Parts: sequence; C-alpha cells; structure tokens
Amino acid sequence: MTDAEARLTRCFLAAFPGLKREQIASASVQTVEKWDSVATVTLVALIEEEFGIQIDLEALDRLDSYRTILDYLNALPGA
Amino acid sequence: MKLVEALEALEQNLSAQSPVLNVQLACGFTPLHLVTFLNAHLRTEFPEHRIEIATGLFGDLAGNLERAAGEDADALAAVIEWQDLDPRLGFRALGGWAPRHLVDISRNVREQAMRLVESLESTSRTRTVAVALPTLPLPPVAFTPGWQASAFESGIRGAVVQLGSRLAGLAGIRLVSEQRLDRASAPSARLDIRSDLSAGFPYSLGHADALAGLLARLIRNLSPKKGLITDLDDTLWMGILGDVGVENIAWDLDRHAHRHGLYQQMLASLAESGVLIAVASKNDPALVEEAFQRTGIMLPRERIFPVEVHWDAKSESVSRILRAWNIAADSVVFVDDSPLDLAEVKAAHPGIECLLFPRDDDKAAYRLLEDLRDLFGKQALSEEDSIRLDSIRAAHVASDAVSGDGSTSERFLQGVEGKLTLNFDKNSGDPRALELVNKTNQFNLNGKRHTETSWKRYLSDPQAFLAIASYEDRFGPLGKIAVIAGRRDGGRIAVDHWVMSCRAFSRRIEHGCLLRLFEKFSADEAAFDFALTPRNGPLQTFFAGLLGTTPEKPFSIRREHAIEKSPPVYLEIRESAHD
Repeated sequence: MTDAEARLTRCFLAAFPGLKREQIASASVQTVEKWDSVATVTLVALIEEEFGIQIDLEALDRLDSYRTILDYLNALPGA
Repeated sequence: MKLVEALEALEQNLSAQSPVLNVQLACGFTPLHLVTFLNAHLRTEFPEHRIEIATGLFGDLAGNLERAAGEDADALAAVIEWQDLDPRLGFRALGGWAPRHLVDISRNVREQAMRLVESLESTSRTRTVAVALPTLPLPPVAFTPGWQASAFESGIRGAVVQLGSRLAGLAGIRLVSEQRLDRASAPSARLDIRSDLSAGFPYSLGHADALAGLLARLIRNLSPKKGLITDLDDTLWMGILGDVGVENIAWDLDRHAHRHGLYQQMLASLAESGVLIAVASKNDPALVEEAFQRTGIMLPRERIFPVEVHWDAKSESVSRILRAWNIAADSVVFVDDSPLDLAEVKAAHPGIECLLFPRDDDKAAYRLLEDLRDLFGKQALSEEDSIRLDSIRAAHVASDAVSGDGSTSERFLQGVEGKLTLNFDKNSGDPRALELVNKTNQFNLNGKRHTETSWKRYLSDPQAFLAIASYEDRFGPLGKIAVIAGRRDGGRIAVDHWVMSCRAFSRRIEHGCLLRLFEKFSADEAAFDFALTPRNGPLQTFFAGLLGTTPEKPFSIRREHAIEKSPPVYLEIRESAHD
C-alpha cells in the first residue's frame, strides 16, 4: 500500500466507520449505502485536510469511488 | 484536532451503562463539522459520559433556540453568527447591500439580539448554556473602504457587545472569550466561503475545532483550584533576601523586576477572589516579615496564611500548609523559580500542580499569569470567597482549642457561641449548594456529583428538600458550610446528599443539622443513601458514633436513636427562608 493509499484509506474509515478495511478499495457510491451528500462533504473535507489540497468542485461528480479519488490524487501535480 | 482525529474519537464507544450527556447545538448554519468537533471535545471533557448532540433547523437560530428551551437536555451550545442577526450579513442570502438597506439591517440586528437574549435567558434557567457571539468577519456591506470602520459596522458591533454584556451578566450563561478564540483561531482564517456556498457550513476546519473546544470547556465548567503556595526569593520578588537585604529586593520597572510586581498583583487579585495564598520559602523569618512591611508590595501580608519560612524541605512546608487549609494537594498550585524545589514538592505531593516562575523571561512570566487565571478562574464571586481566609484562620484557632482532653473541648464548645442557620429555600438558585456537593470529599454522604442541569432537575421534584447551613461563632463567620438534600415521604426523610466543609468540623454542626432535620419535617426516621468512599472518613466516623459501627451501605436511623446518641449540641439553631 502506497503512502497515498494509506492516507486515503484512513479518510474513508473516518467518513464511513461501518466499512471494514478490506472493503475500502472497492468502495463507491454504489456499494456504500451511507455515501450520501453529507458523507461526500465530510469525505472531501477529510481528504483536503489530509492531503493539503483543494478539490475542484467540478470534479466532485467524477469522484464517486475510492479508486477514482486515488487516481485524482495521483494525477495532481507533485503527487 | 484534525477532522479525521475527531471522527476517529467518535468511534471509541463507551459502555451502554455510561451516563449520557445530552447537548443541544443551536446554530443557524449546517452544523456539519462543528457537531463532529463538539462531540469529540465533549468526549475529552467528559470521558465517563456518552455524548448525544441534537441539532436544529438550517437558517433558523432563533427558532432553534426557542424549540430547544422546550426540550430536555443537560446543556445548550448556542453559536450566533452575523447571518442569524440579519440574513443579509451572511453570504447565502441576496437581500441587498445597498446603502439604503443599512438602517434596516442595523435595526434588525438590534431586534434579533433582544430576541436571542430572552430565549437564552429562559433556557439558562434549566440547563447550562454556552454561547459564542459572531466569530466570522462582517461581509463588505457598508459603503466605506475595508480599512475604515463605518458607522454601520461600529453600530452593529456595538449591538453585539451589548448582547454579550447582557448574556455575561446572567448566572446560567457562559460566553466564549473572544480573546481566547482569537489566539486559537486567527480571525482571517475562519471563514471558508467555498464551504459556506456549497454546503452551508461557513467555518474552516481549524476554526470549527477551536470554537468547539472552547464551547466544550464552557459546558464542562472545570472546578477551580483552591490554593496557591508561592516561593519568595526570585519569585514573589527579585533577589535573594538573605544576600541583598530587605531594601534591595525588587518588583519594579526601574530595576527590571516588574514581572514580579505583576505576579504579586495577580496573587492579590486571586486572594481577594477567595483563593488561599500561602508562602513556602527557605529564608530567615524575621527578614521575611520585614520585607512584607516594604511600601508598595502588592500582596499584603494579611492575605497570606500560612507563612512557612524556615530551612526545612519545601515539601514539608507544603504538607503543613495543606493540613492548615485542610484541602487535598490536587486543589493546589505551587509556584517556585527552582526546578529542584518543584521536583521535590511534586515527588512528595504528586497531585499538586507545580509551575515554574520564569525569573528571566517576561514572555513566559506573562503566560504564567494567564495560566494562573485559567487555573483559578470562576464564574462568579460569592460571600464565601470573601470570608474563606478568615474562616480558615478561625478554624485553625478553634482546632487548637479543642485539641485538649474532652472536658476542655466541652468548655470550648459551650463558650464558642456557635450559631447555625438553616435555609430550606430550594428555589433560591444559590450556586453554593451545588459547589459544595461537587467539591466536598471528606464529609460527603456518598461522593455523588451533579451537573448544573441534573441538580436543577433533582430539586424540581416536589418532594425534594434542600437545606443550606451557615455557621458563625465568636471566631467569625464560616459562611455556607453544609448542604443536605433529600426527599420527604410522610414521616420519613430520605437523605440523598449530605456534605459539609472541613472548616466546619469539631463544632457538632452535623449533629445540630440532623436533629433540626428531624424536627423540621416531623420525621420519625431518616434514610441515608450512604456509600463508603476513599475519602469520606470523617463522615464514617460521625455515623459510627451514632450507630456504634461504621456503616458500609445505605441505612436508616430513628429519630429517638439519633437524639439519644448525639452529644450535647451547644449551637443556637435557627432557620432563614432567604439569604
């Protein structure tokens, strides 16, 4: 697990406390029942705080799973 | 605290048997991360409690407060922002910032402020209320440039200052300190406009964390320390008395010793606020007495008791001072410029809070002053605060007098002219009753404590009674020294709480209280919700005298038995309906 994966996993565990660690990698809006708009806001705040970034609000619609968020983070300049 | 840490803290569950602290969070914006941080900070402040937080409706602070008043909770945290005083002072409403709107906004702010005062005052009668006044920057509403304070801005800030002044004067309300919030959360970093516009949550995470931390601290209302023991040389004054002489110790600006003067000033302020001040110094007693006669010393000699000046170890001085005060080390702060002496005292008295006096560092000395204010700060001063030192001195004299054989004790008690006054008005709202219940350890029926809200709830039972006992004798007044709370049930009384200050021991006040209680309620029997605690030895001894054996669990006692087993009580006992 890379450093970014570990930090993102921590964010997911905090935002979705019911999720098991092994479920995180496949987590998405479709698979996580509690992933609603409030959870999205919390998850975004967690990620922005953890990675010291500001997520483009236009990109939020695409960031609907652990995988897409990880890809987004890895694609950031300096990642 | 980071948001991830706050969320992780919420996952650490307590057992289902843990008591619940119900808190209402009233704000006009989406509470989102503020409720998370508040929950996490409350868990830190109340580690034994499960925290449950209820929130209200978006955009309706006044309505949320009014609804909260009708619901059951232990505490209310009310967070007021500019938009709650007029929506045009927020960013999510487009009501107009034209110059012609300013008069209307100002009027609306004043009217809303009055409405909030009424609502908060009403709620504070039944629970603890913590309030934060607007913390966010005002939007650029006025027509003046940003660097110029407009009449509009000054006017609405004045209205909020008036609101704060009104609220701070109410007994059940505690306000977040602007100054302390400024230190924890820079004003320029508080607003998160993107979060406000996208989610209705206007705070940056750092600001939400800082504000939640202060609100949680206000809700907890930590008990202040009771006594401070100070060193003298290079602490209360600059210089070693034995080396430089009385005339050359200093606490003034001219000799770069002003930090010692400020420290003296703080100690004098604490003393006048009811904090016990003692001295522990390795010094020549005669020189010390002479030093306290110096003109301009800010801490008067008569404010200090006891003064332990000799060449013995500081820990021994501290032991003697704690005995004279009859309080535990964990209620005391010890200040000294010597790390060695601090360590020696700490080793002997692990519970004591030891603080270094930074003799060469003005910044650190200033921080010490702030720390002392935090450790000893209290919401209001009481009559007991003004007489505490005198009553301890009197108790010291009295305890010396009763330390002889029994006959001397009887003669002493007969001649002491003790007057015990019992006030049975349970609706007086006197905070001294709860203060005694929550801080008394030695003469305490069971060690049970109350929050402000649970205490009010307890007394609201129609069968509940409360007796607050005051005492004075020819050595002076001791003030309100005992509390008995219970419930009446026909010819029986059930005593749930009985506490008495250690200053009131050895006067048979406890016997006087018990006998009067039977008489007051025409009771034949009293049931005591007694429990052994590690520190209620004096109460165990009292009950052992009545029962012939130390109780180990709740018990009852008949009136005639109490009368038969009580020693002579020489007190003049009377009742007062009011303070």
